[in-house]
Amino acid sequence: MGRYLFLIVGVLALALMVLSPWAIPMREFDGTGYLLNPLGNMNPKGLTLPEGLDFSWLGWVFGVWVVLVLAASAALLLPNPETRARVLYLLGGLGLGLFALEAWWFYQAIAAVNDSALAAGARRPPLRRFALSLGAYTGLFYALGLLLLARMQLPGGLAFLVRFRGVVVPVVSLLLAVVVGALVVAILRPGLGTQGVEGLGLRELVAGKLDLITYTFQILFSPILNLTGIFTSLGFATPLIFTGLAVAFGFRAGMFNIGAPGQLTIGALFAMLAGVYLPLPGWLLLPVAILAAALGGALWGGIVGWLKARFGANEVINTIMMNYIAASVLLFMLAANEYRFFGQKVVLPFKAEGFEGRSEEIQEGARIPLMIHILFPNNTFSWALPLAVLAGLGVYYGLRRLDLGRRLLISLGAVVLGFVVGGFLPGFPFAVSSALASQLLNGSFLIAILALLFYNFYLFRTAAGYELRATGLAPKAAEYAGVNLRQKMILAMVISGALAGLAATHYVLGAGMDGTYRLKTAIPSSVGFDGIAVALMGQNMPLGIFLSATLFGVLLAGGVSLNAQLGISNQIIQVLQALIILFIAVGGFLPRYFTDPLRAAQVETEAKAEQEARQAKSAAAAGD
Amino acid sequence: MEIIVALFFSTLRQAAPLLLTSLGGLFSERSGVVNIALEGMILFGAAAAAITVNRIEVATGGLEAFWIPWVGLLVGAMVGGLVGLVHAIASIKYRADQIVSGTAINIAALGAPSIVLQVLYNNTSTSQEVKNRLPLVSLGSGDVSILVLIAFLLVPIVWWVLFKTPWGLRLRAVGEHPEAAETMGVNVIRMRYTAVVLSGVLAGIAGAYLSIGFLNQFIRAMSAGAGFIALAALIFGKWHPFGVLGATLLFGFAQALAIQLQGGDILPATIVQALPFILTMLVLAGFIGRSRPPAAVGKPYDK
Repeated sequence: MGRYLFLIVGVLALALMVLSPWAIPMREFDGTGYLLNPLGNMNPKGLTLPEGLDFSWLGWVFGVWVVLVLAASAALLLPNPETRARVLYLLGGLGLGLFALEAWWFYQAIAAVNDSALAAGARRPPLRRFALSLGAYTGLFYALGLLLLARMQLPGGLAFLVRFRGVVVPVVSLLLAVVVGALVVAILRPGLGTQGVEGLGLRELVAGKLDLITYTFQILFSPILNLTGIFTSLGFATPLIFTGLAVAFGFRAGMFNIGAPGQLTIGALFAMLAGVYLPLPGWLLLPVAILAAALGGALWGGIVGWLKARFGANEVINTIMMNYIAASVLLFMLAANEYRFFGQKVVLPFKAEGFEGRSEEIQEGARIPLMIHILFPNNTFSWALPLAVLAGLGVYYGLRRLDLGRRLLISLGAVVLGFVVGGFLPGFPFAVSSALASQLLNGSFLIAILALLFYNFYLFRTAAGYELRATGLAPKAAEYAGVNLRQKMILAMVISGALAGLAATHYVLGAGMDGTYRLKTAIPSSVGFDGIAVALMGQNMPLGIFLSATLFGVLLAGGVSLNAQLGISNQIIQVLQALIILFIAVGGFLPRYFTDPLRAAQVETEAKAEQEARQAKSAAAAGD
Repeated sequence: MEIIVALFFSTLRQAAPLLLTSLGGLFSERSGVVNIALEGMILFGAAAAAITVNRIEVATGGLEAFWIPWVGLLVGAMVGGLVGLVHAIASIKYRADQIVSGTAINIAALGAPSIVLQVLYNNTSTSQEVKNRLPLVSLGSGDVSILVLIAFLLVPIVWWVLFKTPWGLRLRAVGEHPEAAETMGVNVIRMRYTAVVLSGVLAGIAGAYLSIGFLNQFIRAMSAGAGFIALAALIFGKWHPFGVLGATLLFGFAQALAIQLQGGDILPATIVQALPFILTMLVLAGFIGRSRPPAAVGKPYDK
């Protein structure tokens, strides 16, 4: 059964360790690297490493891994599951330790050479773009696999996995998508450092391809390594949080909202109209403009909800149709100033002067400030925001005994108080680098967080949200229990649309698209579709949506560097998203009990019965 | 007069890809599988056809021969069919939500061609222009691609297959009541696979028409919603070949009109372009006659 499959995994792991590079001490800008491998380093383009690097430990570390994999494979054949689990836990722990040692040795060696060169007066460190590579990671994943397998040997192991199916299915889907994406890259691209080099053996060619794959994903995930990258990623993630919440909210209520692109567009249009034309004082204008964005989306979603409630019209088709209508409306408003209806000239004031289809600039008062201006005003770290968040959360979780309404109100007060007090506290100086200053992450990120909190609160803490979820799970039963289905349909689409419309705050009011405070016809409304990936990956849970939006944000940010460095189109991110959606839709190719709640419950019940039988047996044995 | 003739031919050219796609979608939806992936299938077919023709031209040093576009068409149809197979496996074998699976294919169709284009042409949005396009047929005072004729010829054929052959009867039964069909000895799973792959083939042909029939290159997202409009035509045409013909002609006419009205003084083109979508919504709401989908559409089949 399952564990014998792990014998094959062991063979594959050893093959990968032999074939792939373990670490890259240096890399050219085009990606050509010096590949370290226990069976002989590979260096087809003839890069020269500086003196004093010692990687001789690779050989015997590899030997230890071989022994470990053999031992694990033998352990799989042990008859008693408890001893088997114990041995596997031990070996998995050893593997993790071994990986940690490798990483430590490698980065120590690099740092030693770089530091001494810099101390000797070199202008730049001699070793750049160094990293561990696939060979080392293989060991890490094998060790993690051993730990998981060990858990599976103990009673209730399967039930344990099934209970976490909300995490297991997306993670497996992500891994599968990464594998397919890697294959696509490997098929379409020559291996790194092997192009144009004559007389390479098969090992070099394979290693070059594996290096290409590893480096591709290292670049894709690299934005998490520095503050600028994190800001870029969160900037990409912000609209995805909104559209992900919109799609998820629809899912929860049993509605498939593919209309986020249209709702976003109309939301953006409303926000623009409010932001440009409303003659309001500054303190009122921004909230009104934000509400206008939500209102536009709510209107566009609400129409579909009403059509479904009133006429039973399918919401999937209607939301698609509404996307195209919204695109036409946007073009009509912003592509030209003059139109002719049956010979009558109609002049629209919305398009600004110039060649491009864009609106006038948003008034100062309706602009959402950049996050760096909120966090670091005047190059000082401000305590206002962190203190506000801490105070709010602290009060919310500290006053559990109060009823919900009062608790929320006091939390809100604490947030305001924290913000004001924090604003007066002296911050410490923080120099904002020019790279960081150019990031488009703006205050709409905070609105996205508020939207997440609203989603969590409304769906899981209120009776109305409970009814909405009940409608999504079993409409007939909900109706029997007194839920007004039609009303819920409209409400669900209104809120879902409003969430999608709020994404416009990022693009229009926060200038998140390209730094200009205008609505343009080129607004990336397709992020509405990406919201489907976010919602599915996040399993419609608030934390899941935040994490998956951030993951996609990181990938999108990494895709930009991938395009710049390796010339691989950043459209690969879109393919990865599509693959993730597809794999989640098929349940990650996992057995049915991972996707079907009834069968999942059955697995858990069986596990419980098995455990009880075991306990009764041991009790009986003790009584003898 | 001249304008009317131009409008007529423009309508035929605009309606043809919608018609091909819609007829494909008809098979899939009649068998009980929602096919929202038509848009993606068109794009995959269009990219495959244009790239194939271009590669043959490059390999033969710019040869111009009658067979080259047909090979392109064949590859486009095959790739469309393969994408259909992916949708079929996901939604039939793995019982995935058919709309989710279709959406995944649509998203992939926006990204995947770009990656191939960048490798081949160092450019993520267009392929190179091809010389060998699908042949044109002269119809009196205008030329249309041969695929336009084929598309219209397919309408009676599809009608005959669906309503006059045992296979068509079984297909419809599978989409209305799969359990009953299974009891009568129809292989539901195989019928659905065939229908979905067929819809992919036809959408792939529609894509090939766009890239090597209507134009001479592949452009990213060149379908511009044709797949979704075809889906709308399917609803508008009440899941019937002749209804679909009427709907696609209407939608094609709206598109042709929008092109003709560009810069004219009757109606702004953006508004005319939105008309088919508004019409479809009105049909769905029952304002212009009701459209009832096959009863089992969207439901995974469990033996």
